[in-house]
Amino acid sequence: MLKGKKSLKLALASITAAALAGAALTGCAPANAGGTLTYLTNSEAWTHADPQRNYTGMHIAWFGSYMHRTLTAYDRAEGAAGSAVVPDLATDTGRASNENKTWEFTLRDGSTFEDGTPITCEDVKYGVSRTFATDVITDGPTYAIGMLDIPTAEDGTSVYKGPYATENNDTAAFDKAVTCSEDHKTITFNLKRSVGDFNYTVTYLSFSPVPKAKDDGDQYDMHPVSSGPYKIKSYKANDSMVLVRNDKWKADSDPLRKDRAFPDKIVVKFGVAEEVRDQTMLADKDKTAVSLDALLPTNLSAVFDDKGEVLAKFKGRAINVYDPYVRYAAVNVAKLNCLPVRQAIYYAKDFQGLITLAGGQAFNGDPADGVIKPLMGLDYAETGYATKDADWKPEGNVEKAKALMEQAKTECPELHARATDPKRGIVYDIADTETNKKGSAIWIESLAKAGITIKFNFIEPGKYYSVVLDPTKQGDLSAAGWAPDWANASTVIPELFTQEGGFPMSQNWTDPAYAEFKKRSDANLSEPDRTKQGKEWAALNKYAMDNMWIIPGTFSKTQEIWGSKIGGAFFWEPQGALSFGDLYLKK
Amino acid sequence: MLVVIFAPVIYSLLGIDPEARDMSALDGRGEVAGEWNGISAKHPLGVIPGIGYDLLARMLFGARVSFLIALASTVITVFIGLVMGVVGGYFRGRVDSVLGRFTDFLLAFPTFFMILALSAPTVERIEKSGWADGNQARILYLILIFAIFGWPYLSRIIRAQVISIRERDFVLSAQALGTSNLRILIKEIMPNVWTPIIIYVSLSLPGYLTAEAVFSYLGIGVQPPMPTLGTIIADSTKYMMNNPTFFFIPSLTLILLVLTFNLLGDALRDALDPKSEN
Amino acid sequence: MNGLLAYIGRRLGITLLILLAVSFTVYVIFSLLPYDPASLTCGKSCNDPGIIEANRVRLGYDKPFWEQYWIFIVGLFAGRTFGEGQAEIFCAAPSFGYSFLQHSCVTDLIGDALPVTIYLAVGALVLWLIVGVGLGVIAARYRGKIWDTLSTAFVLVGTSLPTFLTGLVLIVFLVIKVDWSPFPAGGYTAPDEDFGGWLLSMILPWITLAFAYSAIYTRFVRSQILEISTEDYIRTAKAKGLGERTVLFKHTMRAALAPIVTMAGLDFAGLLGGAILTEAVFNLPGMGRLSLNAVMDIDLPVIVATTILAAAIVVVINMILDIVYAFLDPRVRV
Repeated sequence: MLKGKKSLKLALASITAAALAGAALTGCAPANAGGTLTYLTNSEAWTHADPQRNYTGMHIAWFGSYMHRTLTAYDRAEGAAGSAVVPDLATDTGRASNENKTWEFTLRDGSTFEDGTPITCEDVKYGVSRTFATDVITDGPTYAIGMLDIPTAEDGTSVYKGPYATENNDTAAFDKAVTCSEDHKTITFNLKRSVGDFNYTVTYLSFSPVPKAKDDGDQYDMHPVSSGPYKIKSYKANDSMVLVRNDKWKADSDPLRKDRAFPDKIVVKFGVAEEVRDQTMLADKDKTAVSLDALLPTNLSAVFDDKGEVLAKFKGRAINVYDPYVRYAAVNVAKLNCLPVRQAIYYAKDFQGLITLAGGQAFNGDPADGVIKPLMGLDYAETGYATKDADWKPEGNVEKAKALMEQAKTECPELHARATDPKRGIVYDIADTETNKKGSAIWIESLAKAGITIKFNFIEPGKYYSVVLDPTKQGDLSAAGWAPDWANASTVIPELFTQEGGFPMSQNWTDPAYAEFKKRSDANLSEPDRTKQGKEWAALNKYAMDNMWIIPGTFSKTQEIWGSKIGGAFFWEPQGALSFGDLYLKK
Repeated sequence: MLVVIFAPVIYSLLGIDPEARDMSALDGRGEVAGEWNGISAKHPLGVIPGIGYDLLARMLFGARVSFLIALASTVITVFIGLVMGVVGGYFRGRVDSVLGRFTDFLLAFPTFFMILALSAPTVERIEKSGWADGNQARILYLILIFAIFGWPYLSRIIRAQVISIRERDFVLSAQALGTSNLRILIKEIMPNVWTPIIIYVSLSLPGYLTAEAVFSYLGIGVQPPMPTLGTIIADSTKYMMNNPTFFFIPSLTLILLVLTFNLLGDALRDALDPKSEN
Repeated sequence: MNGLLAYIGRRLGITLLILLAVSFTVYVIFSLLPYDPASLTCGKSCNDPGIIEANRVRLGYDKPFWEQYWIFIVGLFAGRTFGEGQAEIFCAAPSFGYSFLQHSCVTDLIGDALPVTIYLAVGALVLWLIVGVGLGVIAARYRGKIWDTLSTAFVLVGTSLPTFLTGLVLIVFLVIKVDWSPFPAGGYTAPDEDFGGWLLSMILPWITLAFAYSAIYTRFVRSQILEISTEDYIRTAKAKGLGERTVLFKHTMRAALAPIVTMAGLDFAGLLGGAILTEAVFNLPGMGRLSLNAVMDIDLPVIVATTILAAAIVVVINMILDIVYAFLDPRVRV
């Protein structure tokens, strides 16, 4: 599930094969060890460093590689192999029983926090409990709340309110749902319903251990305790973060990172002006630096050719790949309650102009025909929209859009009147960025040709999702991006299009077509046959498109660049980010 | 400035249109096709990368908005500053000390920062009140806030000037003759404060032009798609290396404009202020 | 001397009143904004009314306005505690509150940012005074000659260039494009960590900032000197046959010093509130960046604190200047 426009992840491989990582035999330091690795970013600070509050794929990849260990983790491998789950803190990838409602993990010997205290079942349990303190530990994924077998109160919230609350808090219910063995080695999760891939869920950092004694609530975000090979030496927003080796970390207790903890020091420089960041990378000014952000569209041509291939000069230090995201405009169906108007917007939109502004199709991605990316394999099937739609034109089909608006005039005169009134019009929520602001002109112009007025509501990027996820504040259309949490569209279709979903920006439960959709979606969640389930997700994807619950955008791409002295870089597909933990400095 | 006022005439003369996007001037990834930002007969200064607007047409359009902001702010600043300064300087005593404390109080605020901090909420307020919408509200905000934090400086200058004038013989004799205060203010005092005002205007106009550019660079103030000199410059900084022609044209234009006003201001000062040139 | 003490007392009183008025106004302005301060505290996904209410109580936003202001003022002197149990947060005096967006006490954030801005402002001040006064004196001394023309050109360009352009051009064309450039492309190094690195990281920001200011000072100093040299006592000194140099440095400069110091004092005070553009371009973690980001993220406690602090610096430096004058010139005390 996704809460930032750049987040989340996808796993493409078939899920079942959870390869056991072979325990490494040698104990010596990796061959390429040493040096200082530098990251540059325009962000002022990490959104969160607290494991329970980290949600976006890039952040999970970064902190997961260096600091926060989880029971299981994605394998560090290029391509589809990276989506396999391997044991991390646990000795295996979990043992399920009771129809996948009970999951058991046993902790490895020898893993410790940065102060040398051993990591016990109670620490993992305490970490999980923090997820429930939704008033302090904000922004993190809430899988634990949704899945653990803890009753809900009348108002729909959990009866357990996390470790900080002192009143009306049913701690016993939590203690029943998560239990520890007497030797403090084995943790058992009791779930509400069958979750066949719970061992993927626990790859989230929200299942990381936290030492209770060091937890100080909100402030823990500035000084989380490490369980991995590096620990924080200093962290200042607007300035930098410095990680140094965690001398209490025992390589033998961590087969996943054992041969990978290369640099001696890791520095993140925050707040680097975008142009300065890009030019530093382009000129290879700092050869041991990696950019945490995507290149500005204006600088792409310096690195890639017209087709999106890396230029010879940058061979081996840049990539241009599909990220896990689908970008689209969520339609607020409660407000745009008229199918022809929604379709008119879809046809009138100047896709070509918008994609050119963002750097062209080779860099920004292909026209999307739904919310499921072709990379999803089993769950994807063409929906017949975008390039497969004879009436759809990249530069916008004004005639078709006009005809649909004509139809809307009789079908829904009220909305038609608003959409065509230059004073009122349709409101589009979008994050306040330079490219978006420039692009608004293209939207306004192309929709105006079909007689539709569109107004823009630019929202501070940091506040964007808090505004549009509030049904009372959301406009008619809202820009959004989503990537599946793992390789099953159960983390896409119900999340986006059902009222209980984590990202229900379409507000489509007022649509007459919703009841049927909801029934099929619910039924499909517990469908045991994965192939059949995939077919149904694809069908529901088309169902959503037929009702135009989103205006599709792109199957997006991303570009990454790093310095010439950096080795070990590849695109880590499940997290949609660079393989941070594999980077080393070339000698 | 004339060029700016007659922008529509220039559009038709040169056959350029600030609203037309010429996609043929761009390649598939939004870069300007051709060297030197695609300068040609069709686009005298080339086009804006990514979106394909004619640069000259957009800059003329944008300069009109920028000038509107600068001029309106200056007019309001001068009006408030003049009234406050003259009243304070002429009546002295209680009125003057109240006004004086009030200007002290206003001057204590970090202007630059207050403009930033108040921007989003005030614009929201203006929009909710229904006076203006979107960019109109932002323009209104800039004009008002520039004026609110600008007038104390002028009022101090004028007050000082008025104090020195009111002790002069011709004012004293008018008072002795029983002429009304209002009449003295209009007939005797006002003609003597024009010099500092004209000099102030020649300095504040370019000041406000630059301020608009600065706030646009910081993402406050007028928002694209409406162009101003500031928004075009903010956009152009992204192209510093990739398309230096596009980077330098709007910045140089702003610098030249400001330079012109500064030179004008110096000339006026030399001409009007007898002390500076002796 | 009693007169002076009385004056200082009076001036202190007024300053305190203005500070109180400013802090109150800032507090009122940002309390009346159409924002719900509680809903701004709990991050992006915060739509849950229960969470918002919990934070409202935790931060005291549920109390009436006057009580909130009083708690704020008390917190300045006694520190403040937020929340309860293990998630309790204590911010020691002088407490400006707690920033939920940055997970830190506001005073700590300021404590980190203020030194950076002080280094930036002091360095730039020294640089622009040397260049500005120097050029101003030269221009006045050689009025109408080539030096005057050159300094005028410098003034015009300096005052026309917005600092963000100067800074960006310096970084890209002087640092990144030049292989042997010793300067970092922005960023900050603490002086106690690596003094040389600190110096290198500050030089370009100093130049950028000083460039704009020294232009203004050149113009100001030149006109001051020219104006003063028409005064009778300077004419007398010249008529007495004193050398031009002696007159310039012993009499004219002395008279011109007061207004220059006033102006420098006020500009310096303004800069301590944060050189927003320079800090943004050079990626220096000072007050300007702190406040700019607070504005962008609507981090209310930080906005209120930085505004009040910036205003306080201006008011206090103003007071110091006035007192120094009063000390030097008895007439002012009346």
